[in-house]
Amino acid sequence: MKAAVAVEALTLALGGFQLKKIDFAVSRGEILVILGPNGSGKSVTLETIAGFHRPASGRVLIGGRDLTALPPERRNIGFVVQNFGLFPHLTVAQNVAIARRRHQTAAPRDAALPAFGDDAALLAYFGIAHLASRAPADLSPGEKQRVALARALAGAPDLFLFDEPFSALDAQTHDQLRDELKEFLRALAIPAIFVTHDRSDAYALADTVAVLRDGTIVQAGAAVEIFEKPASAFVARFVGVENVLSGHIIETSQNGLSIEVGRQVLHAAMPAKTLPAGSAVFVAIRAEDAAVCSPHLGGQPTPKANRLEGCVTGFRSEGALITLSIDCGFRLKAYLLGPQVRALNLEIGSMIAVEIAPDKIHPMAE
Amino acid sequence: MTGEAAAGRLWRRWAAPSQPSGLYLLCWFLGTVLLAFLVIPLVALALTQSGASLAGVARMADVRDAITLSLECAFLSAAVAALAGVPLAYGLARTAFPGKGVIAALVDLPLAVPHTVAGIALLMVFGRQGFFGEPLQTVGLKFWGTVAGVVIAMLFVSAPYTVNAARIGFEAVDPRLEKIARTLGLGPWRTFFRVTLPLARRSIMTGVTLTYARSISEFGAVIILVYYPMTAPVKIYELFLRFGLEQSAAAAVLLLIVSLSLFIALRTLAQRGGPIRENR
Repeated sequence: MKAAVAVEALTLALGGFQLKKIDFAVSRGEILVILGPNGSGKSVTLETIAGFHRPASGRVLIGGRDLTALPPERRNIGFVVQNFGLFPHLTVAQNVAIARRRHQTAAPRDAALPAFGDDAALLAYFGIAHLASRAPADLSPGEKQRVALARALAGAPDLFLFDEPFSALDAQTHDQLRDELKEFLRALAIPAIFVTHDRSDAYALADTVAVLRDGTIVQAGAAVEIFEKPASAFVARFVGVENVLSGHIIETSQNGLSIEVGRQVLHAAMPAKTLPAGSAVFVAIRAEDAAVCSPHLGGQPTPKANRLEGCVTGFRSEGALITLSIDCGFRLKAYLLGPQVRALNLEIGSMIAVEIAPDKIHPMAE
Repeated sequence: MTGEAAAGRLWRRWAAPSQPSGLYLLCWFLGTVLLAFLVIPLVALALTQSGASLAGVARMADVRDAITLSLECAFLSAAVAALAGVPLAYGLARTAFPGKGVIAALVDLPLAVPHTVAGIALLMVFGRQGFFGEPLQTVGLKFWGTVAGVVIAMLFVSAPYTVNAARIGFEAVDPRLEKIARTLGLGPWRTFFRVTLPLARRSIMTGVTLTYARSISEFGAVIILVYYPMTAPVKIYELFLRFGLEQSAAAAVLLLIVSLSLFIALRTLAQRGGPIRENR
């Protein structure tokens, strides 16, 4: 499928900051999440796509149309920012009406969607018709999000940009609005780029993810791939892989690799990229892939799995989920549920066994 | 809402902190001293005049003309300050460049210059042989003994209030709102007039009101650059020299009443509609 939106080799210098050859594509109805720490260039990337910075080189294409030289007002892009950026001096209806109708005749592909040129229909679609004469300051965050979406949609955008819209919200509202946003974006089938430093946004929203660091995309791909097979220690830590360990390869064979980590040797499946014996590597293991073994927990020992024994050195509780720290020749984190911890009578100093399947051990070059 | 509830709310507003601390009491005490110092002389001055003496001075054509001239020239001064000062304020608020601090300091310069000094400096530049005065004379614009001179003198000493207030107003407008307006299809001009300017309106109006008030009250620069036609402060000074305290006090109170009521009306107008509530 031809990409609806393509960013090609975008390079930009802004003050002391640089974007280096940013490349990505978003298809129709797809959500790309750009994930990166503060200062990595996420917002600058979005603002460059929206037309607020002129790139030194590279192009921005929407539907094959080169927008790179156009000012923001001629790009047909919907922009949603932190706290949703409603105009405080205008009512809800005026906020939506301020958008200039670029395509008077533009009709959505899907008959279930409102006509973009019809304010009343837009407000009704988002369930905010009753708020038309309210001031933005009187709205709940959920209502603000709907007004922001209705307003952006009034301009019949070809692309939505979201610049950390939820970062000032409490956790519960955050989750709720994110779920709602995802539903709206799925229904509207307009490609969207969402930038965030919060990996949970990427897990919840992303079809594809691009991880940004110091103005460079360090890894991009399908969301599952980024989370399961991070290409570097930075990406692994950033997407929340609990175990990022350093070690070195002691042997390679047809069956895979033997990697020394701490006082242990782990057997890993052959990675896509060959790593020579003797080379230093990082090893990423998700905490959920480190399975605590016990007759109490049922399950059969897996024949080929790495079996490690060690002693519990700590617990961290996040509601039902408990993260165990285990010293098994290196420090390993594994998940258990609260009731399981109680059933196993685990406490600091308890000895336990953990199994890790070879294909859940991801070595990457240092 | 019951009257009792309203009174209760008013009381809480005045008695804000739940436990009156020493700090709070000291602030109110010192504040009251300052307010008394500001208000009592003006009230005392006003109380010296009877309605009859005010009516008498109001019937004097030269006093009336002087007050009218002051109001008109101050209006022109405020209008010029708004037209040229608001763009400067926007530029200062929205752009970063080396030497910006110097420009901001230059804007404040007139506030630090004694007004007689300002008058002399203006006379040098806008006088017959001045840098501006001489060429502008050839197109019929003279600054000595004319309304234009009065406006120039007022503008010089009062323009900083508009620039500073408008700049603070523009700085408080979230640039992201302007960006959103652009993505909604509004060009830079429309964005300025539909989003930025309305959001900074109250600050700008406050600044323009201060410029207006300061223009009416200007004496030093005006009397040096233009003695005639006489603005109200110059007229009051002349009455004081020629007839003494009593005559000048009547005219002074009349000017006070006129300018204060205008100031209050303008302030009310500027703050109309209440503040725009932050959408956070």
